[in-house]
Amino acid sequence: MSDDMHVLDLLPAYALGSLDADEASRVEKHLLSCWICRNESNAFQAVAEQLSFTAPVAVPSLDLKDRLMQRVQTARPEQHILQTPPRSWLERLLPVWGLASFGLILVLGLLNLSLWQRLNQLEFIHRTAALVTAPGGMRAIPLNATDQAPGAMGFVVVGADGRSGAVVVDGLPPLDESLEYQLWLIRDGQRTSGALFSTDEKNYGGTRIRAPRSLLEYSAVGITIEPAGGSPQPTGVQVLGGPLFNP
Amino acid sequence: MKSDYTRYDDERLIGLIAQLQADALAQLYDRYNRLVFSLALAIVNDRATAEEVTLDVFMRVWQKAGSYRADQAKVTTWLTHIARHHAIDVLRRRAARLDQYAVNWDDASSNGQSSQLDPQELAELSSRRTRVHAALAQLPPDQRQALVLAYFGGYTQSQIAGILKQPLGTIKTRLRLGLQKLRDFLRDEWEIDDKSVEAQSAYNISKEE
Repeated sequence: MSDDMHVLDLLPAYALGSLDADEASRVEKHLLSCWICRNESNAFQAVAEQLSFTAPVAVPSLDLKDRLMQRVQTARPEQHILQTPPRSWLERLLPVWGLASFGLILVLGLLNLSLWQRLNQLEFIHRTAALVTAPGGMRAIPLNATDQAPGAMGFVVVGADGRSGAVVVDGLPPLDESLEYQLWLIRDGQRTSGALFSTDEKNYGGTRIRAPRSLLEYSAVGITIEPAGGSPQPTGVQVLGGPLFNP
Repeated sequence: MKSDYTRYDDERLIGLIAQLQADALAQLYDRYNRLVFSLALAIVNDRATAEEVTLDVFMRVWQKAGSYRADQAKVTTWLTHIARHHAIDVLRRRAARLDQYAVNWDDASSNGQSSQLDPQELAELSSRRTRVHAALAQLPPDQRQALVLAYFGGYTQSQIAGILKQPLGTIKTRLRLGLQKLRDFLRDEWEIDDKSVEAQSAYNISKEE
């Protein structure tokens, strides 16, 4: 790119946001392809932002924080980190299939069934499909994503007698070390902790569900974000949930 | 178990906010509500409007924390960038602009400091403000005036030329020279070029919203 095409003279005003629309558009177009001007623009914008510290110090009303937190409680976060990038229908289908398969592997293991180890992939897929749909047998129950985590999905897999179960999820990002995902089993409006788990860098996770009763006695399940170690009752936002059984 | 959010740095708080931890947002608000409110008030010159802008800025943080990149922008840069642009948007929607500005760089002592500020915060903000004021003091008054109108007034160069009844070319020169000199003064002070990517990143983040 030749020098006469650079926009260096416009960059200070661009950093201050004081260019007219046509000039700003010209600068933005140029910055896309010129690293020299882009670096200069970055430097001027860094300087311009320092001017914010020259504003006379003022203190907002004491109740402003309460108003903020009220808005937070009622707002529906739209685009959050819990949202995963859009995927094609095939990409979306594969994790679901993978989840069900993974969940069933867990349950099979929990039930001390090791037949799956002897199955080749084709046989496994065939067996998985049968188990998912087997009436009265082991069930993989899909969970619904909440508005807080629109890209998430998951399954609760329950053994035929309800005494063993597992949860597997996809699309939930790894949390800060001070936090964990916590699964809640709901019965007569009472929530009982059933599992604490984390997810890996691929946003997958899963663990065994531990419950004081048969899982068949719970009507619904939910997963929330809680402080590491778990909470006695849900305190964080819910990311997944759904109905279980009609005890 | 309750986390002690006061021990987390700014970037960690943003990460927790992205995980929908409202207490982390509350902590970020405690740290920077005065910075955001002061900037908004300096631009819109009305307390009620400045408070609305402040609420909107922190709500945007709540909703967009996932788009923040700690390796590219300081949290304070991100906050002030959002605050300034939102306040100027509000200002531009007004039928009439205010003639008086809360900012007067000709008299740095007029920028009163509230006794309600936390001592450490007061010290940090005061130090930063003092250094920027010292740099501004080295500019000719006409360049400072043009910068005030551009940064806090949200005026374009053409509008500033009309307000000051000066040729457009003169205003362009004042803004260019003013910011260039500030950059030179602050470069020595803060090695600001090392951080130069911050503002552009904040700008890019804002444009994605």
